[in-house]
Amino acid sequence: MIIITNTNPSFRLFCETLQAIRETRSSNAKITCFANYLRSIADEGELALAVQFTGEGAFDDLSAKRASVGSRTSGLAASEFCDIDYDLVFKPCRTATGSSSETIERLMENIPVAVEKRTPADRSLSEIMGIFKELADLSGRDDKKDLLHQAWSRMTPVEIKYFIRILGQGSLRIGFETRSVIASIANAFNTDREQVRYAHMITGSLGKTVILAKNERLHEATFRLFHPLSFMLASPVESRSVDDLTQYVAEEKFDGMRAQIHSDGENVRIFSRDLNDITKTFPDVVSFFSERNLPATVFDGEICVYENETIQPFQLLQKRMGIKKPGKKVLEKYPALFIAYDLLFTDGTPIFDMPLANRRKKLQQTCDEYHLPVTSQFKIGSFEELEERFSLALEHGNEGLMLKKTDSPYEYGQRRKSWLKVKKPGGSFDTVVMYAHAGSGKRGGTYSDFTLGKNDERYEEEFIPIGKAYGGYTNEELKKMNTRIKKLAVERYGPTLGLIPELVVEIEFDDIQVNKRTKAGYTLRLPRFKAIRWDLGPADVNTLQDVEAFFAKRLNENRLAQHENPSFKFSV
Amino acid sequence: MLRFQKTGYHGLYFPDIGVALDGYHPKSDYVFVSHAHADHMPKNRSAKAYATSATIDLMKLRGFRGDATALDFGQSFETDHFKATLYPAGHILGSAMIFLETDEGSLLYTGDYKTPPSPASEGFGTPETADYLITEATFGLPVYRWKPIDMLAEEIRTFATNSLNDGDTPVFLGYNLGKAQEILHILAPLGLPAMIHGAGHKLCKVYDDHNIDLGNYSAYDRDTCEGHILVTPSSALSKGFASNVSRKKVAYCSGWAANESRRTQLTAHKLIPLSDHLDFFDLIRFCKDLSPKKVFITHTPNPDVVQHYLDNEGIDSSFLDLEAETEE
Repeated sequence: MIIITNTNPSFRLFCETLQAIRETRSSNAKITCFANYLRSIADEGELALAVQFTGEGAFDDLSAKRASVGSRTSGLAASEFCDIDYDLVFKPCRTATGSSSETIERLMENIPVAVEKRTPADRSLSEIMGIFKELADLSGRDDKKDLLHQAWSRMTPVEIKYFIRILGQGSLRIGFETRSVIASIANAFNTDREQVRYAHMITGSLGKTVILAKNERLHEATFRLFHPLSFMLASPVESRSVDDLTQYVAEEKFDGMRAQIHSDGENVRIFSRDLNDITKTFPDVVSFFSERNLPATVFDGEICVYENETIQPFQLLQKRMGIKKPGKKVLEKYPALFIAYDLLFTDGTPIFDMPLANRRKKLQQTCDEYHLPVTSQFKIGSFEELEERFSLALEHGNEGLMLKKTDSPYEYGQRRKSWLKVKKPGGSFDTVVMYAHAGSGKRGGTYSDFTLGKNDERYEEEFIPIGKAYGGYTNEELKKMNTRIKKLAVERYGPTLGLIPELVVEIEFDDIQVNKRTKAGYTLRLPRFKAIRWDLGPADVNTLQDVEAFFAKRLNENRLAQHENPSFKFSV
Repeated sequence: MLRFQKTGYHGLYFPDIGVALDGYHPKSDYVFVSHAHADHMPKNRSAKAYATSATIDLMKLRGFRGDATALDFGQSFETDHFKATLYPAGHILGSAMIFLETDEGSLLYTGDYKTPPSPASEGFGTPETADYLITEATFGLPVYRWKPIDMLAEEIRTFATNSLNDGDTPVFLGYNLGKAQEILHILAPLGLPAMIHGAGHKLCKVYDDHNIDLGNYSAYDRDTCEGHILVTPSSALSKGFASNVSRKKVAYCSGWAANESRRTQLTAHKLIPLSDHLDFFDLIRFCKDLSPKKVFITHTPNPDVVQHYLDNEGIDSSFLDLEAETEE
């Protein structure tokens, strides 16, 4: 463990702390390490940036600003800096390490030219923030590369690695996610973890949270309308055991798009699960709410395409997703409806802390009063009843059921046992492995991502790619597969191996989507391994016709209309 | 130029002089063996093996039943067609580079090698020059540059003492032959009791016989291993090795430990990039210093990268497709 006595923290010390956390196994020790570091920072601006960089990225969660430095840009910039060939040298190095930023770190350490160019200087986190902002304001790759070169010339290799990861806005890959950052803040400033978590939920910002914690002002964290809150997430029921069904209520799980609606009089904003503002995409939903002229209210629920009293397949909703300004035609053809299932704010107060049963009561009242669609809730007495409900949900064309614990608060940003999803797998196909790609991150150095093919006589080639899959196998299986893959390899394209089509895997997926950019014309939604079929050969795999048939069946499945046995209530 | 061909996965056969290197060929009269790792050792009974005495001792303990003749480093073995000389390769105890001199020119075959050498080997030596070089390039990428051995040795000793002070049992993961003994040798000055996995333990005797100090070691004993420094191959750890000891701290010692991804793959507390192969930069330097007419590159998935750097040095090279190791 490292003891930090520095009172003038620098970006270098910050990165060295991250590295120390990376090299620590126990999560308590990681938290203590970061808490000590936070306590050592006197300047509040620096403190806010330290937690923001660790838990959110270069730009905070609420900001739409992005530096837009992709791995190709940073890889090319690093190759130029180190005077090495990007395609010939950098790419194989990245394949070997499984990480672009780690590769850059090590080249910066190893290549003499790069060592000469670098004169590390102590710089504050706000100076680094300045560089992130400059990068965001530049548009050309060459300008960005110049700025990266300048920045890196004053950094150590470890600083460069984390600089790139923070820029990426993703995980820092040090085994230290938001929950740990929150625990560290609580530990550093001697406050309650729950209180910190709550303040984070309200402010939506780790930076703001840490300042409040430091000044003993966490109680001031208040909810603001039109600022999204992180969603509560559900766990798959298979991963949790349910002993007592009576603690739960069931709702049908819609095959739609999760959304949060903030509505206050004529003002309506819609936020997606990744907290993006999608108000403009759904003008029909906006006018639906603004017409009703609600007092300040926040709903959690699902947007679906709803026509002829039937919830339409997800495939039709897709025609609406991503369209920033839908035309009249699209709006008429694919009308969207928001179905509420939770209430987060009403009567001028946030109510996340209330048990679900109480929130539900208020939701019901609001929906009745303003004629809003709201899910039907069912009490489930036995597993037989659960089965029945589940089949009925499927008949409605829904994905399955949600089980929600009646006494649970709204657990912001967490995936715990309070919400469980009971989903039927969409389907499975036997496919042949066509290409193996070198994995990255945890699976670095192995071939762990696969392109899977199906055969079809309409094409000249024997197999047509249908999708990529990774994960879902054990390390043992992966080892066995890698051995087999090496024997089947006939071509090499950088990190990718072209294989003799012999290895058959059964792949499971949630659904099939049309995708005209692919040769097959379809892609699988959430494909994952079900089993490696050592017993099958390439002649046994499913054909493209099977895929088409499955898709047609999905689309034309008879969906029970909502007037009988409704999965949601909508009193006009 | 001297003609040669592949034999088996790793071996080479030189038909004009009847010599095989690190493999067996039915027509070979002489099989020179660089070192006793399984992928270099001939398996065939009728192989007439020539190697250092340490390598022969180790091969016998690992099941070699053929005829074996010991050669000292620097001592030449001559026939009408060739002269062969062994040079210390610095990889593991007994490891040798094989230098062949013939009317068709001279050739240096490195086997696995390391310079600067492993402290648990006889050191490193090389002929001044060779016409042809066949070199392994296991770590043939510029992301691989090793820290000085003193620094790594310090990391190893510190990890052992810190773990013991914290009441944990330190476990070092390293291959049974070579790496395991190197770790013991590095730990020896601490004078602390160490236990080594059985398969590695039986090979330690050869190190003792060749005066490599392995310190205060004994064979792994499940019931009494707690509180000892433990050394084992990583494969044994998932098969119950010291599974009765709840407080363990695991350090993975290998060139592959340079890659962060190994941390989660092996659930190791510490990665110590202690390799028994030379790094990329020493590889290019070695080729440059030897300045052969041509370099043949083996044991790497990335021969293009090494070739690219040799091209920049004006050294002709090509890839010789022998099975590459992915794990030390």
